[in-house]
Amino acid sequence: MRFALLLALLCSGISVALAAPLGTYQQGTVVRMHMGDCLIMHRGFMNQFGPPQAAVEESCPEYTLVTDKVVFVIVGKSSNQLVPLAEVIDFRFQNRELAVRVDDARKESKFAIKEMTLRSEWELIQRHIEQELTAPPPQPVDASLRLRSRQ
Amino acid sequence: MLAHWQSRAVLLALLALACVSTCTATCPAAAQGKNEVKNEGSDTPTYRSTVSEVRVTFFATDENNRSLETVTTSDFAVVDNDLVIRNFRSFAHSDETSLDVVALVDLSESVAPRLRVAMSNVLQLIAREQSIPDDNISVVSFAGISSAIVCASDCRTSDSARRLLALGMKSGGATPLYDALIFAADFISHHPRARGPGDVRGDIRSEVRPVVILFSDGDDTISIHSAGEALEAMQAAGALIYSVDLGTTENQSSDHTPNQNKGSIFLQQLSEATGGRYFFFSPRFSKSDGAATVLNAVLDDLRASYVVTYDVPSHQVGFHSLRLFPTHKLNLTFHSRNGYNYEPGGY
Repeated sequence: MRFALLLALLCSGISVALAAPLGTYQQGTVVRMHMGDCLIMHRGFMNQFGPPQAAVEESCPEYTLVTDKVVFVIVGKSSNQLVPLAEVIDFRFQNRELAVRVDDARKESKFAIKEMTLRSEWELIQRHIEQELTAPPPQPVDASLRLRSRQ
Repeated sequence: MLAHWQSRAVLLALLALACVSTCTATCPAAAQGKNEVKNEGSDTPTYRSTVSEVRVTFFATDENNRSLETVTTSDFAVVDNDLVIRNFRSFAHSDETSLDVVALVDLSESVAPRLRVAMSNVLQLIAREQSIPDDNISVVSFAGISSAIVCASDCRTSDSARRLLALGMKSGGATPLYDALIFAADFISHHPRARGPGDVRGDIRSEVRPVVILFSDGDDTISIHSAGEALEAMQAAGALIYSVDLGTTENQSSDHTPNQNKGSIFLQQLSEATGGRYFFFSPRFSKSDGAATVLNAVLDDLRASYVVTYDVPSHQVGFHSLRLFPTHKLNLTFHSRNGYNYEPGGY
């Protein structure tokens, strides 16, 4: 009886231990990706207080992840740290980082959060950028015409 | 009278539709949109319509660097100027069925120790794959300040073999690598191509894949042109570069990784940017099956190639960067050119 109770406790303990790191995932879609600098990842103690070092030329992937309410800009820690670009990806917060689930590898990949914006604000900014890009270039003003119209 | 007018209108509409669909099939990057423009001195509006479509040929390799025969649209996404694209217009196996191979050989002093092996590899390359027509195999060499065509369309003759062997004995001078790449790009764009055996359909230029197999250490010492200009020329010629790094050997101490130097990095970037592959000089090449390794990779990649098309996501004029990334399996690598020039199409 005692053995059965111990076994049940052990089993439930293992299942809780396995489930805990998974947590609850949120879902989002990556809409942009570009290779930016990795500097935000290299701000360790030695970089802050040690002797000046030459800038690392490595570039890291930067992703714009759109969720229902918030838009995140996340940065990888090395050039080959990639997010699967599926329509929907699962992620969760972990120690001020964003852990993205990599389905096929059955593991998580952690990214630094560079920016967080409310989705409504982000959409407004995107609309503004789009308008700027699609707007026809301003016509050069002919000074002589302006003078003539004044006269 | 009315019936005549109606039939004319229908005819005009059909003609317009035909024009638009022709452009969809052939224009790689033109502007899309429909504008109503008033003709000067006339009240009749003119409708102008152009189509923008990006066409990307690619192949995928797995973690063992083997080409994947089956790829679906759910396996990858395109990143065009930072924008992620998952909705495609079309997706199919590539039309390319044959190769046009240019072996570009560095004869400069810096590669002297490996030149003989490189030349014997070139000779095997030529002799090995009989599915490539004679017209589609050429050898271009470079050293000193110039590049020269060693053989074109007659590389399988004994005369050419003798010439190639003689080249393997003499090396020296500076390395005009970037100029040689521009020379090869020009050669690829202008020399006549032949179809592979059994190919009888369609446009020959769209069926034959131009490939440059570059034997070099990647170090340029004397070119007039820059690395950027060389890459641009190769991309304009639509050639894939498969580079064999004569300056780098396999690092035995660290698990088969190549030693890195400036030249090697350039060769890797060059191959990656054109959608080709990079090979470092391993003992395989000395054992004379290196040529087979490269050629098998070239042929596998050709057979495993796909074409995907999509609408231009932004009408920003100029260079659009382009990369394909996996949607699920992060161990897959997608090889394609790394960009295209977008210019809004004429009306």
